[in-house]
Amino acid sequence: MSDNNQFEPGEQPKASWEPEHEGAAGGAHFRSEVNELYGHEQAGRHLTALLTDLGERNLYDAAAQCNRCGYCETSCPTYMLTGRETISARGRNQFVRMLVEGRTKSPDAAAESFSTCLLCGACSSACYAKVPTPDIVLEGRRSLTGYGDNFFARAAVNTLLNAPRLFAFWLKLAYLAKLTGLPRLAAKMGLYDFIGMPGLAEAEGAVNKVPLRFASELLRRDPELGTEGKKQLGWAYFAACGPNFLFTEVAQATVRILKKTSGPGIFVDNQCCGLMAHNYGRLDDAREFARRNILRYEELKAEHGDFPVIADCASCTAFMKGYEQLFTGDADWRPRAKAFAAAVKDILEFIPAEKAGRADPAALAAAGTVTYHDSCRACHGQGIRQEPRAVLHKLAGKNFRELPESDWCCGGAGAFAFTQPELSNKVLDRKLRNIASVQAGTVVVGATSCLAQINAGLRAAYPSARAVHYSVFIDEVAEKT
Amino acid sequence: MFKKDRISAIRPELEALVGAENVRTDEGEILMYSYDAGMARARPEVVINFTATGQVAPVVKILFRAGIPFLPRLAGTNLSGGTIPLKGGAILNLSRLKKIRQIDTAAGLALVEPGVVNLELQKALEPFGYFYAPDPASQKVSTIGGNIGENAGGPLCLKYGVTADNVEKLEVVTPEGEVRTLSYRDQGPDLMSVMIGSEGTLGIVTHAWLKILPLPAHIKTASAAFPSLDSAMRAVTRIISAGILPRALEAMDKVSMDAALSGKANPFPAGTEAVLIIELDGADAVRVKTELETVHKICSDNGCEAFKVAGDEGERALLWQARKGAYPAMARLAPDVLVEDGVVPRPRLPEALRETREIISKYKLTAGLLFHAGDGNLHPNVIFDRRDIEEVKRVKKAGYEMLKSCIRLGGTISGEHGIGVEKRVAMNWLYGKGELAFFHSMKRAFDPAGLANPDKILPVASDRSPSKPDLAGAFVFPGKSGLSPEARGVIDEIRLRAASGTRTAVTGLGTRLKPARIMEGAKPLDLAQLAGRAEIDRENLTARAEAGLSLEEFRRQLGEAGFSLDLPELKGSVGGLIASKVCPGIRGLLLGLEVATASGELLELGGKTVKNVAGYDAVRLFCGSLGAYGVIISATFALSAGKDRERAPFAEPAGWDDFEPGDIHRRLKKEFDPQNLLNPWVYRNI
Repeated sequence: MSDNNQFEPGEQPKASWEPEHEGAAGGAHFRSEVNELYGHEQAGRHLTALLTDLGERNLYDAAAQCNRCGYCETSCPTYMLTGRETISARGRNQFVRMLVEGRTKSPDAAAESFSTCLLCGACSSACYAKVPTPDIVLEGRRSLTGYGDNFFARAAVNTLLNAPRLFAFWLKLAYLAKLTGLPRLAAKMGLYDFIGMPGLAEAEGAVNKVPLRFASELLRRDPELGTEGKKQLGWAYFAACGPNFLFTEVAQATVRILKKTSGPGIFVDNQCCGLMAHNYGRLDDAREFARRNILRYEELKAEHGDFPVIADCASCTAFMKGYEQLFTGDADWRPRAKAFAAAVKDILEFIPAEKAGRADPAALAAAGTVTYHDSCRACHGQGIRQEPRAVLHKLAGKNFRELPESDWCCGGAGAFAFTQPELSNKVLDRKLRNIASVQAGTVVVGATSCLAQINAGLRAAYPSARAVHYSVFIDEVAEKT
Repeated sequence: MFKKDRISAIRPELEALVGAENVRTDEGEILMYSYDAGMARARPEVVINFTATGQVAPVVKILFRAGIPFLPRLAGTNLSGGTIPLKGGAILNLSRLKKIRQIDTAAGLALVEPGVVNLELQKALEPFGYFYAPDPASQKVSTIGGNIGENAGGPLCLKYGVTADNVEKLEVVTPEGEVRTLSYRDQGPDLMSVMIGSEGTLGIVTHAWLKILPLPAHIKTASAAFPSLDSAMRAVTRIISAGILPRALEAMDKVSMDAALSGKANPFPAGTEAVLIIELDGADAVRVKTELETVHKICSDNGCEAFKVAGDEGERALLWQARKGAYPAMARLAPDVLVEDGVVPRPRLPEALRETREIISKYKLTAGLLFHAGDGNLHPNVIFDRRDIEEVKRVKKAGYEMLKSCIRLGGTISGEHGIGVEKRVAMNWLYGKGELAFFHSMKRAFDPAGLANPDKILPVASDRSPSKPDLAGAFVFPGKSGLSPEARGVIDEIRLRAASGTRTAVTGLGTRLKPARIMEGAKPLDLAQLAGRAEIDRENLTARAEAGLSLEEFRRQLGEAGFSLDLPELKGSVGGLIASKVCPGIRGLLLGLEVATASGELLELGGKTVKNVAGYDAVRLFCGSLGAYGVIISATFALSAGKDRERAPFAEPAGWDDFEPGDIHRRLKKEFDPQNLLNPWVYRNI
């Protein structure tokens, strides 16, 4: 065998296996402890570590875990539509890795790659190593010049954080503008995009009615939801921004079905979960939202003991379940965030099929063929697939039909429809085609972003169907007692 | 090397063809096409996205005129650096060309564009009750174009053959931008088969007519757990030599299994070191059942501890998920994985495994072993972190040693993943100077300007490697040293004639000889004397026959030994049947050739393994070569176990030698036989 050992470096072709070049951040010190894309003075704007399926990793290690096998590519909606590696799951991961390694000088070369990501997480579901591409992309976005410094984003997040009532007032003003025929003005005020309600600013038809009384205001007045005199709590309702500010009927339906199936509960009277600030690159603000919600939870817990925190927008529940990741560098808050996250449950997984009750035949007939769209942050973000199907099967029986490619993103994806209208429409088109292929009358969804997006699409292309939130569907078809 | 101005000069033309948004030179795009699933890296100068197949030829023409190298790329999942633009130039992104144009069950063909994902095609065929046989583990994402470029295999190729065996016809854009349609049935040398596995170095496939098969009526899948890899391998050899040809016969070791089953319940008993997945199919339920019983018995006799037949589609899917997920699942263990792809003759598998394991432990590495046991194709998945430079060095050395070990055992360096750039250097160990020069001349004939995916597959000057592995005492392919005295005589005669410029008419048994066509002045070279006894490798199910042996006699000898050849009744010599290609199906059984070139150099092409993608498919190029490219000395065939069946007589096509050479044929002739010494009437005026 001795002659087999005579390998010289020159024997291999130069281009293959080229070692990391000297200046590469990862080349010099291997497996370091810090997020290498940023100076430490920017630490507040970035995550210290990512909590991956394989354990706690810094950004570089998390991205480097991708071995480029490419098995995620066919699950990535933007890749499937464009065939471009640049806007594919593997490509985005590699881009972050290359940025860390110093292979490209300007992060702005990555702007298109990062900004076109739906953050749907289908790639992570397909990945055997569960590389957290959405989190990695968000870190990449935060490295882009000026990301999160946009005036409206800053103003809106700040107002929502520090003066929620003022925010509510401001929003109502915008809604009034819309109702009084000044919709363009509302759009120009930049009010819709930061709420993460895509259809609003882009297409005025996305949401046809806007509430002038927000869910939190209604729920605060509901005597059944008060905390007084309650010892054990069956649940506590967390009003996410979508149901709170826009789809108040969702919040009300959720509360109604919770009351019916899960005993006495309360309204948390919470803050925004912080997802909006998080996805806008304002991580410190997101942490502040999280801390306030955690404090509120701890306050209630001291009084009532353990209880599940129920929210009805999959994006927010998924985010709250991941609160711990915001505080990996914070020994005090990390365990508290973890405890809170453990209490969070999505309404989609909370109602067991046996408690779903029976459907009212007339209401069911009106619903037509029922199908279920897996909201990305429910199926990819939280692994919720079976639970809502079990309930829908029980309620709708033979009227339930499985949606082809049910976990293909609808293209709503928070503000994506607003920032990437063309791509978003193509993503939506495929969803609509699948809905039409099963001749659905009702598409049940689990996130308010999907609700706005799919309904906007259906109204234009397939008006005999409508999307309804899971809670609303259960509430509507439930046998009236 | 990075000349941006090369592109700006042709940019307006390109944009006019594909649209401005599809010609991309921005840094982001360039970076994103500098890698694939392998380890090599290099940046292109431009990425061109296509939206219609018709755009490919004109774009290639522009690049050809400008002298800019190019290469086609699809999903970018190849494992040998094949899609890395080593000389910069253009990436032709064909991913959006993904239409299935036609499914014709009557003709058994599907016409597809190159970007169709393998699994999507399977899904489209299923409602019609059909399937496309090649099923690489990456089928969820890899495309037909990529499968053709790499000559992909997959578990099912044990029974149904690799990609090359399942393609009927290709529409190809040549490196000069001409559109050609090639089929293995065309008269003359088989250029279509050469295109398959050529990794984009000979042209770009824009349409493929694929053979589709009816789904078998009965499929039985079983898993067998063994306490050692050796015992599992013994079972594999016994199964094949019992005359059973499973639809798939796959093996994986404990490391691979644990990775693939992570998070799922492990269905195998404790102490399991190796698992076989055995799948049988057929139209006859009783026969499938009997075969399954035989397999069960063979496994039990060889120490199998748990033999389980999948009860339903769900259990079957789980087994296949474990098998096909074993490679991507390696990502859980480490950030990088090197997948080797050596092949050895099946009976040598236990030795190859032993050596592979020794190499892995010698270099202190971790690897999951995974292999297409039925084909003798090994995939050690060596895990590492490329940021650990020391570890990378060890991995490289180990990888090369594994390849050398396969070569020593009479095998080859790639079964289905291709050579790309990463195994280029190993070509020096596998082939002699003559064979490599032959491949280079093939490349020149297809791509005189050297622009199509340059520097791939064939070693370049910097790959100099004087150290061929030490073959002393090792298995030696019965080639040069095993030549019969008659064969040596023939080769000496060819050399003499070459030296004197004497023209030769290659004649065998004279079955199809048309004396009238023999040009005056060509001196006959009688190969009828090359009729020694066939050399049968019983365990490997292969046999080597000299060119002058008649097929009837070859068959008789095989029959005596209990084997048969899956060919129709044909008259004539082995060499004549290959050179005349009266029955194009002969290519499917042909594993290796010994050929004397016009100058009298002996070339060993192919080998004794069922799978081999190292270098161009020169073996099939000789199918239909009409004796004009070289003189076939001997051929190695794949056999079937068991008695010969009755066969209907074969109707030979009348116009089998009605061959009008095309430009590529002529260039090949010029490369191989510039003086037009061999069968000079075939290429009258080159």
